[in-house]
Amino acid sequence: MLGALGFGAPWLLLSLLALPVLWLILRAIPPAPLRRRFPGVALLLGLSDDDTVTDRTPWWLLMLRMLAVAALIVGLAGPVLNPDPNRQAGRGPVLFLLDGTWAGAPDWPQRAEFLDQALAQAARDGRPVAVARLTTPEPLVFQPAAAWQNQLPALAPQSWAPDDMALQAWAETLGDARFDTVWLADGIDYPGREALLAQLLTRGTLRVVQGENNLQVLLPARYDDGALQLQLRRLAPGPAETATVLAHGLDPAGLPIELARLAVAFDEGATQAGAALSLPAELRARLTRFEIAGQRGAGAVALADDSLQRREVALVAGREDREGLQLLDPLHYLRQALMPSADVLEGALPDLLPANPDVVVLADVASLSGAEQADLLDWVQQGGLLLRFAGPRMAASDLGRADMDPLLPVRLRAGGRTVGGAMSWGAPKTLAPFDEESPFHGLSIPADVAVSAQVMAQPGPELAERVIAQLSDGTPLVTRKRIGQGQVVLMHVTANAEWSSLPLSGLFVQMLERLSVSAATQANMGTQADGVVWQPRQVLDGFGRLQEAQNLAGVAGADVLQAPLGPNLRPGLYASEDRRLARNVIAPDTVLTPAAWPATVPVSGFARPPERPLGGWLLALGLVLLAVDVLATLAVSGRLAGRLAGRGLRLGALLLLGLALLGPVPGVWAQTQPRPGDDRFALAATSELTLGHVLTGDAELDQMAAAGMLGLSDTLFFRTSVEPAAPMGVDLERDDISLFPLLYWPITPQQPAPSAEAYIKLNRYLRSGGMILFDTRDADVAGFGAASPNGRKLRQLAAPLDIPPLEPLPSDHVLTRAFYLLQDFPGRHQGRELWVEAAPADAERAEGMPFRNLNDGVSPVVIGGNDWAAAWATDDRGNPLYPVGRGFSGERQREMALRFGVNLVMHVLTGNYKSDQVHVPALLDRLGQ
Amino acid sequence: MTSSLALRAQAEQQAALLPPLLARATQLASTVMLGQHGRRRAGQGDDFWQYRAAQPGDPAAMIDWRRSARGDTRFVREREWQIAQSVMFWVDRSASMRFASASDLPQKAERARLLGLALAVLLVRGGERVGLTGTALPPRRGEAQLQNMASLFLDDDSADYGMPEARAMLPHARAVFISDFLGDMAPVQAALGKAADRGVRGLVIQVLDPSEEAFPFAGRTVFESMGGSLQHETLKASDLRARYLQRLAARKAALQDLCTATGWQFLCHHTNSPAQTALLWAWHGLSQAGGR
Repeated sequence: MLGALGFGAPWLLLSLLALPVLWLILRAIPPAPLRRRFPGVALLLGLSDDDTVTDRTPWWLLMLRMLAVAALIVGLAGPVLNPDPNRQAGRGPVLFLLDGTWAGAPDWPQRAEFLDQALAQAARDGRPVAVARLTTPEPLVFQPAAAWQNQLPALAPQSWAPDDMALQAWAETLGDARFDTVWLADGIDYPGREALLAQLLTRGTLRVVQGENNLQVLLPARYDDGALQLQLRRLAPGPAETATVLAHGLDPAGLPIELARLAVAFDEGATQAGAALSLPAELRARLTRFEIAGQRGAGAVALADDSLQRREVALVAGREDREGLQLLDPLHYLRQALMPSADVLEGALPDLLPANPDVVVLADVASLSGAEQADLLDWVQQGGLLLRFAGPRMAASDLGRADMDPLLPVRLRAGGRTVGGAMSWGAPKTLAPFDEESPFHGLSIPADVAVSAQVMAQPGPELAERVIAQLSDGTPLVTRKRIGQGQVVLMHVTANAEWSSLPLSGLFVQMLERLSVSAATQANMGTQADGVVWQPRQVLDGFGRLQEAQNLAGVAGADVLQAPLGPNLRPGLYASEDRRLARNVIAPDTVLTPAAWPATVPVSGFARPPERPLGGWLLALGLVLLAVDVLATLAVSGRLAGRLAGRGLRLGALLLLGLALLGPVPGVWAQTQPRPGDDRFALAATSELTLGHVLTGDAELDQMAAAGMLGLSDTLFFRTSVEPAAPMGVDLERDDISLFPLLYWPITPQQPAPSAEAYIKLNRYLRSGGMILFDTRDADVAGFGAASPNGRKLRQLAAPLDIPPLEPLPSDHVLTRAFYLLQDFPGRHQGRELWVEAAPADAERAEGMPFRNLNDGVSPVVIGGNDWAAAWATDDRGNPLYPVGRGFSGERQREMALRFGVNLVMHVLTGNYKSDQVHVPALLDRLGQ
Repeated sequence: MTSSLALRAQAEQQAALLPPLLARATQLASTVMLGQHGRRRAGQGDDFWQYRAAQPGDPAAMIDWRRSARGDTRFVREREWQIAQSVMFWVDRSASMRFASASDLPQKAERARLLGLALAVLLVRGGERVGLTGTALPPRRGEAQLQNMASLFLDDDSADYGMPEARAMLPHARAVFISDFLGDMAPVQAALGKAADRGVRGLVIQVLDPSEEAFPFAGRTVFESMGGSLQHETLKASDLRARYLQRLAARKAALQDLCTATGWQFLCHHTNSPAQTALLWAWHGLSQAGGR
């Protein structure tokens, strides 16, 4: 072991000792004689050598050979840069133990790479390997390391912590097996870890590898003091640092966006930090989750649920005449119950409905005007919850008496009834236990809740299913009816304590919560959750990604809040009826404890430079040196002289080239086209007139467009005084398109739509005189307007563009005579109309001229499908690339296509100058004098 | 035949780079050894030269009676003296010539053939007769002769080093020997001596590869001749360079001396230098050799 350099077979290095011997041998042996034909040999006959010793091999050649041999020897000895110092740890089976919790997610890539390398090392050492993840403990299976390497992705972190009991059970399955352990710990402590550690220490050596980063977790957001309170914790005290919390939510279209971001600063040495995020109620209602920016892992994610949403509740009372008697105010108890968890609006119904509250509470309101009733019904049908309370007015009115009132769940009997009063027999009634179907199922009923008066429902066939709470004598207390997407709920008692003691009890608040009148808060969540089954909708994986829950089983009652997380209770979003509840990885009382390891256990991090075997490189170097030696030997012995020299040099150059190509050569594929950011693009595009074509991402199409623009440029160059430079491809996202007078845009169904910024650029371009020639290239198969894929794509692409009204090219359009006189505009396909900006409706035919008197202006778009670029396309030598038509008529068609191109460019460059011919008679008239 | 055609084409190309022989007739006008250009004196020949008054001693048969009948004096019809020059070539075709030290250099044999044939083309254009030494191809004029020469040049000889062929040389003809002259010197001496005896003069062109001039070798090397018949091993080639170069210089000096002694001219030509300089030199050399 030589520090950062190790050898696989160090004893091979001993053969370096043989090098001096080799030196002597090589020196002693002269090079083989060279047979050479030479007519002048007749003159040599009889000449003897002065020096009987042959030419010695030059020292540098010997050195070269020594180096080559030394490189081979060292290469074969298996040098490794940064060898793993622990690789000699043992020979027996080895267990790689992963905590596998969410805490390991942030550095999972390093973890996986470490595991991969460790497995590779174990495979080299031939050690049987078992890999276990404590979050999903399974019996150990020792098998060759290569078999585990394929399963690495399946070992990703889970979103829960190991379970103490499960760990114990797992430790018992180990039996008396002996193995070494490498524990890839996540750095947090959890119950059962110490015991497992002790267990493992008895079975073999143990080494702990854990990341060094200071884990940060996000606590569930709370709504407090009118703002969202966000709390962060970190694993260990550290220097002051700032974390950014992102609030994600849905935009009005239902797409996930980032709604807000908030910086939260940790003080030095603190493990907790917090900040308040103030959001309007509308935004708050759309929150889906918070996460710490730049940190992966379920611990950095806090899901938002109903507890963050504050419903808007509109309270409307029928009686406003009892000022001063606050406790008798029909809305007082409602107000008290709703204030902590909802935004309460009060006022007249016509004023409140436009605010679109979530809930409208009508306390003892019997009469509604026709318009009010219609509006209210409309609102309910769109998802509103109308909660009505009975009262003396309702009891006295004819509401719902004769027939079903649309805003009442049941028909009412006249008068109501009073029980347990001074004038009546019997005692006040208590509440019957709630049915399973009732949304109130699971709420405990306080014994002191008694009802002394109520309005009575008219018995009917639909009554039974509409009752969700009833008194002990079976009379309905709460009835409900669904209307459209909303519902109407009627409490058959008053909202104040006049008819019952229900509003005085906690049950009243809970019932309101169950009815989603008020959102649940963390404090009352426990009672809320009881008695219902919570269905997981979306669950968090270990990396903090939300995934559809698929067919995970529901969780009963309060377990969803209290039970420890595990495979059967994953963190995520749970739903029951209309309520959503988030179970986060981090609870408000979660305390992060760094895992403490005994001093005897070596603990290391992942940050180790990767092992780099150097043997291959050294062997390659040796071979290269030997190849050089061949050339050098030839040169020394004179065989490389003369005409051989050239060939030898060429050979050497080829060899070097080959070596250079074998090695990775980054930067060879440097882009050839200048890009924005440097001025070269602008210079290239503006030094000469340059035609551009839009890059579609389809390489073949882009090539064709480039060739087409090249052909058109050449044609312009040869025939007109427009002498364009080589055309350029234009990337709408990056390039400045304003530099090009004409953009050719071929349409392919696959091309991506430009970004919003690109559309802004395009619109600016079109408004400032640029022209885009759209080419759907499908005139052979599709008539214009027919729904060809290209045509559809064109519509989709052009929808955000600022394009004026279009019309098929009229026969007197200036395009027909900008340079050539043309009547049709074929490309590779023929005979389909071309669409340009519509002429003003009031254009009149000029006197004595075959065309109308049109204003100046260049059509910002020309749209067609004749695949012009293919007809224009030429290679560098000017030969057409694509066949057009057949025979001479095809060539004629190509010529016409080119003429159209010339006319088009002329039109772009000179505008409607040719239209000025309408004035020719007048000019001639004037000149004639 | 394709390659001989190619060789011919190449040679034509080389020849085209020089002004044709006829264009330089003025230079050669004063020389004795000119082809169809008359010597501007009466002598044996086919072309009419002049009539002159018959003088006492002229045989009667020489009198041109048709001319004489027009007047009182008798005229003798004289013809211009015409002599066509024969130029004999020897181009080494042995194995040692088929050597090139680099792929972009021509083989020595290639260069030698090219030079020889280009010279022959020039000469034929000038009306001279060309042929090979020995009996294979006696001197003739005309395009067909060039064709024959080219095809004979392309025949390779398997001998390691070539020996000049000096047989059947016409007296007072001209000769051109092209070789690397790296082999034994004795046959060269003998051939040149024999040629000199017959009054034949000409050019010796030594074609060498640059590596033979520079000896850029080092290290332990076994040198072999192209045919493999000769071998020399050295442990340290670089040590041999100085002595090799010494010997090469001595060989060149010996050739030069030999040429001086026999009235020939000597040129050492390297395959990495343009053939045209050698051709120019050779043309000059032949002209001057005639002028003497």
